[in-house]
Amino acid sequence: MRRNDVQFAAAARDDGIRKISKVTWRAGAAGVVCSALIAVAFGHHAAAQPQKGGDQGQGTIVIPAQPPAPAHGAGQVNSGAS
Amino acid sequence: MTTLTTGTDTFSVFGTTATLLVSEPDMVEAARIIADEQLAAVDRACSRFRPDSELSRLNAANGAVTGVSDLFAELVEAALRAARLTDGAVDPTCGQALEEIGYDRDFAVLQADEQPRHRARPARRVPGWRSVQLDRKRLLAQLANGAQLDLGATAKAWAADRCAEVIAAKIGAGVLVSLGGDMAVAGPPPADGWRVRVTDDHAAGPEAPGQTVTIRTGGLATSSTTVRTWAVGGRRVHHIIDPATGEPAGSCWRTVSVAAGRCVDANTASTAAIIRGEAALPWLNEAGLPARLVRHDGSVETIAGWPHDPGPTEAA
Repeated sequence: MRRNDVQFAAAARDDGIRKISKVTWRAGAAGVVCSALIAVAFGHHAAAQPQKGGDQGQGTIVIPAQPPAPAHGAGQVNSGAS
Repeated sequence: MTTLTTGTDTFSVFGTTATLLVSEPDMVEAARIIADEQLAAVDRACSRFRPDSELSRLNAANGAVTGVSDLFAELVEAALRAARLTDGAVDPTCGQALEEIGYDRDFAVLQADEQPRHRARPARRVPGWRSVQLDRKRLLAQLANGAQLDLGATAKAWAADRCAEVIAAKIGAGVLVSLGGDMAVAGPPPADGWRVRVTDDHAAGPEAPGQTVTIRTGGLATSSTTVRTWAVGGRRVHHIIDPATGEPAGSCWRTVSVAAGRCVDANTASTAAIIRGEAALPWLNEAGLPARLVRHDGSVETIAGWPHDPGPTEAA
């Protein structure tokens, strides 16, 4: 085999490996993205399960629209333990 | 003044005191009729002290799948949601733990009974909320691992929310419903809001040590280790069970009050705060829940927008 033929074959092999490697990386990246999307979708679904039949804010403790405001004197009613 | 234009009704329910405040005084009677109807339904569904309640039937089913009403399913769902949102700090499977420390009858009866009580067996972790299976669609429930439900932590607050919503919708007036100090408001509030005295004991007088605030929306709940206590084996115990130990929580807080978008959320957070102890401060802050926490020495911490309260230490 002539020296040029050997070099050509080696270059072709390296080129092939590069292409396969690129395709593999792309497939891997696509797999990771798909996995993430599926995880987000199912994660959301799992968290949403108990919301069935419920009101807003099932996934978190709902904060008040307005915090209590300071006042003086007696109250109309007591908030204490029972 | 708000007090002159607000109708009030006070009555007994769930072994505690209920108060209705209605912005239209002539609507109080109508509000009471609606409240009675709603509260009776909740009692039939989830009283631990009624053998004919759905909760008693489920607890007695020895782990069998049991058909439940839509109302009971909603109450169980609210309890499971509270458990999930607090990482299990507020757990509905404390029924057995409460019975083992003597809370096996209506509290008024328990208090009147002066017989000395002792633990039947050592305390242990409760079965846990994941032992409760609920199929909302088919209205089926099942308890695993010997779990016994107690919905006391959430059902009263849930009932306050439900009463306030239904009353406001039906009579078109503003209303505050307090069930043993757990309160929900709905409809248009009075011009200067609903004035609430935050204190250890909901049954204390209007000038009880504490702080007065006004609320206009949502719910407000207070949990405390100083009320609903009794003696077991020579020591005082209370009804807030730490699921991790099956014992009454040994908290650094005497009393915790929390404001939230709904009463059931306020109660969930105040009960969890008692159980979490010091860790409750960053947890409530992060959740943005205005809260007032009282230590055993009476010193007060206010966070997340709750009005500053100097407490007895600074005020003295």
